Amino acid sequence: MKVVTGVVGNDIHVVANRLIELSLNARGYEVFNLGVNTYLEEFFDAAVETGADVLMISSLNGEAEGWSREVKLLKSKYKNLDDIIMMIGGNLVVGTGNAEDIVPRYKNYGFDIVCHQVDLNTGLDLLETFIKDRDTKESNE
Amino acid sequence: MSLLQEEREIILSNEYVDTFDFAEVAEFVKNASKDLFISHHFKKKNKMLVQPRGGFPTYKKQFALYEFFVDANVDVLPLTIDSNTRLNDYATSKKMLRLSEENDVDMLNGYPLVNHGYRTTRKMITNFNKPVSLRHGTPDARLLIETAIASGIFEIEGGPITYLLPYSKNFPLDKAFLYWKYVERVCANYSKLNEPINRESFGPLTATLVPPSITIVIQLLEMLLSLEEGVKSFSVSFAQQGSMNQDIVTGAVLKKLAKHYAAEIDCSDAAIHLVYHQWMGAFPMNKDYAEQLINMATVIASMVGADKIITKTREEASGIPTKEANAKTVSNTQYTLGILNGLPNVVDEEEEEMLTLQVKAIMEAVFNDPADTLWRKVFNSIKNGIIDVPFSPHIINHNNMITIRDAKKNIRIIKRGNVPIPDRCYAYDKAQCDLTKDTTSIVNDIIHDIGIMQ
Repeated sequence: MKVVTGVVGNDIHVVANRLIELSLNARGYEVFNLGVNTYLEEFFDAAVETGADVLMISSLNGEAEGWSREVKLLKSKYKNLDDIIMMIGGNLVVGTGNAEDIVPRYKNYGFDIVCHQVDLNTGLDLLETFIKDRDTKESNE
Repeated sequence: MSLLQEEREIILSNEYVDTFDFAEVAEFVKNASKDLFISHHFKKKNKMLVQPRGGFPTYKKQFALYEFFVDANVDVLPLTIDSNTRLNDYATSKKMLRLSEENDVDMLNGYPLVNHGYRTTRKMITNFNKPVSLRHGTPDARLLIETAIASGIFEIEGGPITYLLPYSKNFPLDKAFLYWKYVERVCANYSKLNEPINRESFGPLTATLVPPSITIVIQLLEMLLSLEEGVKSFSVSFAQQGSMNQDIVTGAVLKKLAKHYAAEIDCSDAAIHLVYHQWMGAFPMNKDYAEQLINMATVIASMVGADKIITKTREEASGIPTKEANAKTVSNTQYTLGILNGLPNVVDEEEEEMLTLQVKAIMEAVFNDPADTLWRKVFNSIKNGIIDVPFSPHIINHNNMITIRDAKKNIRIIKRGNVPIPDRCYAYDKAQCDLTKDTTSIVNDIIHDIGIMQ
């Protein structure tokens, strides 16, 4: 499976981004890491270019909130991205907030999996469960 | 007119500069008080110099900060520059400075030196008559350092590698080398007029599991790039790594090899100093614990034999420190230095040998690059991964080297990527670590190793 990942916006916090790449590789994914300081267009361009199955966006300083509002609109301009799994994780608000409010908000923005301050391996387990569930659903249909 | 002078006139005819008077500035440097030159204080070598960090947007607040520092018995004053100025965005820093002045709220994370200008800033610097160190993070610092020296700031931190790889994703590295060449030449020229201007490299890099061999190689290369342009006073530096023994070994090897490589290019007449940064990684939220960590760093700096220590504050984990907290660190550090007597002499020959072999092998690979000048050799070496800085956000960096801590918290290389670590050293490093674990556990170990002081 192919994953495009990176840190959204003007965020330069790189440590977790490197660890995500290492962990995804360890779990057998083919990783295209765009690194820090990545704009939404670059994520979608890379997803099209690589034929990615998963788009995994992360944020440390919380600026994801501002960018995420544009996800649906921008994604609708691309062809062939309807089946991509959209995942986002990190600190998803500037300041503090609780997951009960944040998760539904981000699902509304167009994300399938939302991890607010969830540790790395738990988040990647969620992705695996999501993929498995989807595959069983598809084979049942 | 020389090419350099032509370039200087272009740089200084910037719309944000209020007529730069070259002759007046040269006259000022020539007659400036020796006390403003850190190189002069190093020569006297009475004690380890203590320097905090700090920069506020307005003149008034910066002045007040310096008053606090002087009361706390500071040796070297810092001038930390705001992030807009670091990116040459003087329009934004001007606007934010005005907002800070009008509303009494800080809208910048440092002092916008170019907007204040050298005529104003010089009044503050000469008033305190202490050496000032310029702290920034600027890839293109040409206008900034012209303004700094004209203001009476005679120590300039940074370099083309250490101010780029930890701070930027895609600023072109080759341009950074050329912009810093300008800085070195201007510093070298002013150094002929009075005491030398001191240049300092930024050894902490990403402050995240950088192995000592990479730190030392980059320190040596920035030193050579500076000395070959005629700089006569240079500080190599590194930050507390997490193991006292590894810090002592790093300091010893760095000092020895700095002398060795300076002599290789016939620059033995340049004075080389060692600077130690208190812990630069993630700090504990508990402010009392933070003070313990700071105090321990001071002890290690003494064991390392540093010429200058750069301090942190008890408020590190919570944001930009207040001037009170900042001054408190200075007086605490001075107190600790004053009572540290009869330090043992610790030498670990095996570790020194391993580290020296690593550094020499990487340096040799850099020198063997076929390019015609040193900066191009270094540029190529970063591009092809001979130099690889863990956790650098820059696209040119390979990120193929992986490091973890061993049981004694020494940083060890467990994957060398393209870095020419000799087989013997590589086997030695790996033998110190438990590598039977799967990658997921190793990633968990790395997360733990980054946060060891929290």
